[in-house]
Amino acid sequence: MTTSQTAPAAVKILVAGGFGVGKTTLVGAVSEVAPLRTEEYLTKASVGVDDLAGIGQKDTTTVALDFGRITVSPELVVYLFGTPGQERFWFMWNDLVNGALGGVVIADTRRLDTSFASIDFFESRDIPFVVAINCFHGHNTRTAEEIRAALDLDPHVPLLIGDVRLRPFGRDVLLALVDHLMSLPAAAG
Amino acid sequence: MTPYWDEEEPEEDAAGTMVRPYTITHGRTAPERDDFSLITVLTTAGEPLDEHGVPLRAGRLQPEHRMILDRCRRPAAVAEVAAGLDLPVSVTKILLADLVGQGLLLARAPLTVARASGGADMGLLAAVRDGLRRL
Repeated sequence: MTTSQTAPAAVKILVAGGFGVGKTTLVGAVSEVAPLRTEEYLTKASVGVDDLAGIGQKDTTTVALDFGRITVSPELVVYLFGTPGQERFWFMWNDLVNGALGGVVIADTRRLDTSFASIDFFESRDIPFVVAINCFHGHNTRTAEEIRAALDLDPHVPLLIGDVRLRPFGRDVLLALVDHLMSLPAAAG
Repeated sequence: MTPYWDEEEPEEDAAGTMVRPYTITHGRTAPERDDFSLITVLTTAGEPLDEHGVPLRAGRLQPEHRMILDRCRRPAAVAEVAAGLDLPVSVTKILLADLVGQGLLLARAPLTVARASGGADMGLLAAVRDGLRRL
């Protein structure tokens, strides 16, 4: 009898959006474990020629990533990564994007503009995504059509409105992403 | 006016870290191999044990290495190992590479799902969908 288990395959989904919009909340709502936090050092060497504005004179700084997991089957685990909200850390996304099935952009109708950049990012990297409008503050006076127009959202991108604290909503958002992925024409065989 | 020598130096390691992270790696800042991603899944390899149940080749291992081997008896992703050790991802990757290099740890790369290479296959997506429906 061998002592090593067969490792499951892993995929990841990115959860993006402006600062404080509910990324970790959504991850926590659907994850089978409380969201974990891991840190990565950023050094001048590792950022290369990227813009260091905002990092100031420090030689190193850290970026925290919150993530959770959903064991789909013994053979397959989905990891959900909340992506750093601050724009100055977005060069990190290149690593995050590798192997990502798709993304979720969370937006708050009171400050939709803070999620524009996440949408731009996914669009420019050809990463399929859905938009989840978080209204846990109970403030949603805008219709889906108004929000779509304000976000300049492509008509085929799914948009859901709900409370990211609730597991059923988080599940529906992820299911909408998977359905969206299945509906896309295959890029190749 | 306060003389400059009275100004308090900020205390180092005020957060309570006893060992600076790169001390654990003996000053190495890059892993031996550079193909770990955040979701590369690691599993401890079956290894020969001595009569006390201690791995025979563990002599040169540090406590963190042993903690990783213990943690990965159940498969875990790089990000999970790093979170469990409370070490930065980059430091964790160096330690993981040591263990993979010694054959004590097995690494499984993430599935390829890039749109450019055809995207995720339907079977995978269906499996994810079925799993999500059970949430």
